[in-house]
Amino acid sequence: MSDFHDNYPSYETMAHHDEATGKKVRRKLWNVFWIMLGITLLELYIGFQQDAWELKGTTTLKFIFIGLTIVKAAYIVLEFMHLGGENKTFRYIVLIPYIAFIIYLIAMLDLGEGSYSKEHREVMDKHYSEKPMQHHEGGASHEAAHHE
Amino acid sequence: MSSHSTSLDSVAHWKGGASPFAVSYGKMMMWFFLISDALTFGGLLSAYGFMRHKYPEIWPDPGQVFTHFPFYEGHIPLAYVGLMTFILIMSSVTMVLAVEAGHRNDKKGVTIWMLLTIIGGLMFVGSQAWEWYHFITGTDHGAIRNQLIDGQWVDAPFRGANLTYNEYGLPVFGDFFFFITGFHGTHVFSGVVLNIIIFCNVLAGTYEKRGHYEMVEKVGLYWHFVDLVWVFVFTFFYLL
Repeated sequence: MSDFHDNYPSYETMAHHDEATGKKVRRKLWNVFWIMLGITLLELYIGFQQDAWELKGTTTLKFIFIGLTIVKAAYIVLEFMHLGGENKTFRYIVLIPYIAFIIYLIAMLDLGEGSYSKEHREVMDKHYSEKPMQHHEGGASHEAAHHE
Repeated sequence: MSSHSTSLDSVAHWKGGASPFAVSYGKMMMWFFLISDALTFGGLLSAYGFMRHKYPEIWPDPGQVFTHFPFYEGHIPLAYVGLMTFILIMSSVTMVLAVEAGHRNDKKGVTIWMLLTIIGGLMFVGSQAWEWYHFITGTDHGAIRNQLIDGQWVDAPFRGANLTYNEYGLPVFGDFFFFITGFHGTHVFSGVVLNIIIFCNVLAGTYEKRGHYEMVEKVGLYWHFVDLVWVFVFTFFYLL
């Protein structure tokens, strides 16, 4: 056990590449980075402009954000985590159960049960006030005086 | 090196000759761990979605809650989390570059890129602490809450948020914020710790002796996963 060699076949050693391939890989990774940065900046820009574009709180906006997020997530999983380059069977073993279960969860918990609880809010939890919390107008001066 | 150059066909491993997925044992188990961890985060975010779906009109507007930026007096929504996202994506890129350098057995490259990844991770954890500090401290004006002061129940102003009250609106918003970003922050922190351990091994030449840098790739998977979760937290907590 003095050295660190184990007895498993080393697939990772087959992943070794030379400088020429490395250059190509690096260029691809930086491209992915610029795409990710672009998407994030686009999300922020839409976030800043959502009032001006009258998109705030709309379903359209939600789908835009979720769509862009899924694109980013796909780049992370397939390129950074290199799942796109793995064996096809392995790719599906990782992705299919997860996606299937999450779709189930969103449909049942968020859309199904969430809608139901919303409709029955008055019956199910009376302690939540319907109106948003009011802000305290004189709070700043009060607090300032308190600290003085 | 001799044990590693053995032809795959000639060695009976996995009882069937070879991995059916052409992926090493360690990497596959890391993937399986990440799937289960991703399911945990998926469950947490779905629970958040449930509450948000239940109280759409009284849910606090994140654009009004997270508006601080370091060294800037005014309020500017989204900018700070945008910066945090950039830091984490950047550290993901440096991590993947460390993995790439590992494939070329370039010890110096791995060292530099791993170090940058660790710095990025620490910056992110620090940013999150700063974000928590401002959420807990709250705004100058605060809000009104019925509270017990000197044995009397009175409507009095309070500031900030914790697990029982929240100046910005529903307390459950604060609960989810603390729990999900806290759970993610714990992952970032353990990721940094793992990265530091691997970094020390790289410096000690452990992987050079071993002939490959697969360990860097394995912690790299974990690190990208942390980035992946943040992408979703960013969208569901700050953008929507």
